[in-house]
Amino acid sequence: MRRHHRRIYSICYRFTGNRTESEDLSQEVFLRVYRTLGSYREAHGGFATWMTSVTRNLLIDHYRRTKRDRVTDSLEDKMPVVENKESVGRRPDEQALLGELSGQVQHALTKLSPELREAVILRDLQQLEYGEIQRVLSVPEGTVKSRINRGRIELARILQQMGVRPA
Amino acid sequence: MNWTCEQTELRLSDYLDGLLHPEERHSFDAHVNGCPRCTPLVASVTHLVQDLHTMEEVEPPPRLVYAILDKTLGPREATTGWAGFLARLRALASPKVAYGALSVAATIMVVLSASGFSWKKPKLADLSPVSIYRNADRQVHLVYARGTKFITDLRVVYEIQSRLRQDNEIPTEQQGPAPSSPDKKPGRTDRSPQGSPKQQNRANGLGSQLQILASEIPAPVTHFAGWMTGGRT
Repeated sequence: MRRHHRRIYSICYRFTGNRTESEDLSQEVFLRVYRTLGSYREAHGGFATWMTSVTRNLLIDHYRRTKRDRVTDSLEDKMPVVENKESVGRRPDEQALLGELSGQVQHALTKLSPELREAVILRDLQQLEYGEIQRVLSVPEGTVKSRINRGRIELARILQQMGVRPA
Repeated sequence: MNWTCEQTELRLSDYLDGLLHPEERHSFDAHVNGCPRCTPLVASVTHLVQDLHTMEEVEPPPRLVYAILDKTLGPREATTGWAGFLARLRALASPKVAYGALSVAATIMVVLSASGFSWKKPKLADLSPVSIYRNADRQVHLVYARGTKFITDLRVVYEIQSRLRQDNEIPTEQQGPAPSSPDKKPGRTDRSPQGSPKQQNRANGLGSQLQILASEIPAPVTHFAGWMTGGRT
């Protein structure tokens, strides 16, 4: 548990942008893993991949439950960008803690649609291979690559709109 | 190969991952270098991916581990007083702890015995460092002396054996090869009749020598010598 809890918390935080919700969701992940450990099979991939899959499913369920509390969009839909309610009012110490650029990237991540957000988090922040991401998301590898590509481009455009210069 | 902006956008991740064929990469570079829309896009995405790869993992709060344990295994019961003490004792009732405790107790007993501590009449003064050192020193010297004496006594036994062997061979050398005789009894090497004075004197000489040697040797070694010589003494 100690080996995985940092990674799981990181995924939850990068997806939600909220520390309190990330803590709650991390506990839920381990509770679900603890209860369904009997259903784990090595044929489904490594244990870490299975845990990531459980985490991803919980994050999506959480997102759908709280969808009515926020409005998010993708630049592809050409709708006005609305601030993500979860990330509004981040504490100054949190901002300093994360680092300015890191905080801005985190803020921009929460503006992506969940499908693109999870693909970018798994590939570029968790350094998973395409095959592993395919097993976690249960979609074809072509779809994985397409989401990662679109997610990166949209994230770059959001950061440009926020006035963040690339390093 | 003509490369369009749509293709640039579509294959941008393949370009960053180095998955384009050389011809495709050449066309990609040629288009990007001359396109005012694609040049900033490729640059910004490239820098973004580099920043994402170097972003540090978020540190979870220290209490998260305990919160997870409470959620999965249930909250720990706060035990105080006798209930807490008995709960802690129960935790010690595992084979691992029992084996460890037994090993430690056995080691302490061996060390105390070697240091001269008397179990029948224990004294606190026996546990002082000075008495432990003196007793240990005495024990070491005693063991060394006994070992040395045992090895020396073994040499004596070997000498006895070799003398007995020599004495058995001497009658054969002095009288030459014995004539073949159908009546020759096995085991006898000389013609002197059994029980003759010559034989008896030799046996008596050997016996007196062995008695002198035996007086210098403790009983277990003499028994050992007797076993080695086949009970001749």
